[in-house]
Amino acid sequence: MAVERAAGGSSLIDVLDRVLDKGIVIDAWVRVSLVGIDLITVEARVVVASIDTYLKYSEAVGQSVPVARPALESRPYDELAAENQALRAELKATSGARQQLARRRRAGA
Amino acid sequence: MAKKTTMTKVRRPVKRMARAATKVAAKAPREKRASRRAAEESHVSAADSMRGKYVYCVIQSAEPLKFGAAGIGDNSSEIHTVHYRDLAAVVSDVPLGILDSTRENVLAHERVNEIVMRDHTVIPMSFGTIFKTRDDIVQLLRSAYDAFGDVLSKMRDKMEFGLKVLWDRDSIVKDIEDEDEGIHRLKKEIALQKGSTYFARMQYGRAIDAALQSRSERYGSEILDRLRDVAVASRINKPIGDKMIMNAAFLVSRDQEAAFDTRVKSIAAEHEKLTFKYTGPWPPYNFVNIRLKLERV
Repeated sequence: MAVERAAGGSSLIDVLDRVLDKGIVIDAWVRVSLVGIDLITVEARVVVASIDTYLKYSEAVGQSVPVARPALESRPYDELAAENQALRAELKATSGARQQLARRRRAGA
Repeated sequence: MAKKTTMTKVRRPVKRMARAATKVAAKAPREKRASRRAAEESHVSAADSMRGKYVYCVIQSAEPLKFGAAGIGDNSSEIHTVHYRDLAAVVSDVPLGILDSTRENVLAHERVNEIVMRDHTVIPMSFGTIFKTRDDIVQLLRSAYDAFGDVLSKMRDKMEFGLKVLWDRDSIVKDIEDEDEGIHRLKKEIALQKGSTYFARMQYGRAIDAALQSRSERYGSEILDRLRDVAVASRINKPIGDKMIMNAAFLVSRDQEAAFDTRVKSIAAEHEKLTFKYTGPWPPYNFVNIRLKLERV
């Protein structure tokens, strides 16, 4: 497909994705609101908690690919459950047959 | 050292807005109680003078700068700079109180960053940080001077671009069914089989999932590979929704912008089945994370 570049500010979703929690972030607000103290102004001094810059080139898209479900999680369980059920049914059938057989033998004897 | 900094950072507005307003109002008249009328007057003027400074980004500049009046809130307030040594915060005056993350405000934040970016390397501030006074901002720049300086030099003359890649899952599934022999056979089996197709369907689903996964990984690493020599760095974010197979940001040098642009367009032209959402230039939001704490004095 042909693609054109759109200016940063043209998509609200893309803007929100960036401006809310990236760049320079001041944590105090979160803490204050978590504690539930209703402070509009915080008397405080600024301290750098962490600095990260990301200057590497990623090698692969990796694990975060959105295909339906993780292949390893639910499937084997489903399969095992089904197998389990099938085996139980079989067991029931054979044990029923065996009981019948035993009864018949007793009656014959 | 233990200078006091006051700031507000707010997201959820309406209710708090009311509370903040009453707080401000309650404080104001306390100063003058000589006469009721005087108190009322001072209330009004105090409310007017309760202006804080909204910070958009930090840049390197020892000279005072102006960027017009396209800031947050009422447009009359000019976007200007507050300095500490060779660092500057780009700010504009806003009413002190709660700032709602409305479409208008959020876009204004981004717009100012884009204007400043034309001629400067910026470290963007996250949305919604208001300082009470100019001195508080000087204090911020002084406290984080080394951190800001270091990050600014790393980001010098670099810009961020966004690239999201989406596909039409159903049509890809059809392709896979046509191209993958095993899956093709399974599908036939299910169609022809009498009685329970439980296991066949299970097997089919698993095979499709695995094929989708490997195909999207292949696309992703191919695209990353093609852009490697025209970008400085890349970051992969979590895709949003089930149509997106890649949600990436690239840090690109100014002098490679044209090359990056051409490359993205040619990659897109080669992939009929994929949709590309290409945005920028952005401030380097995805490549800078500076967390500041406030310590109570």
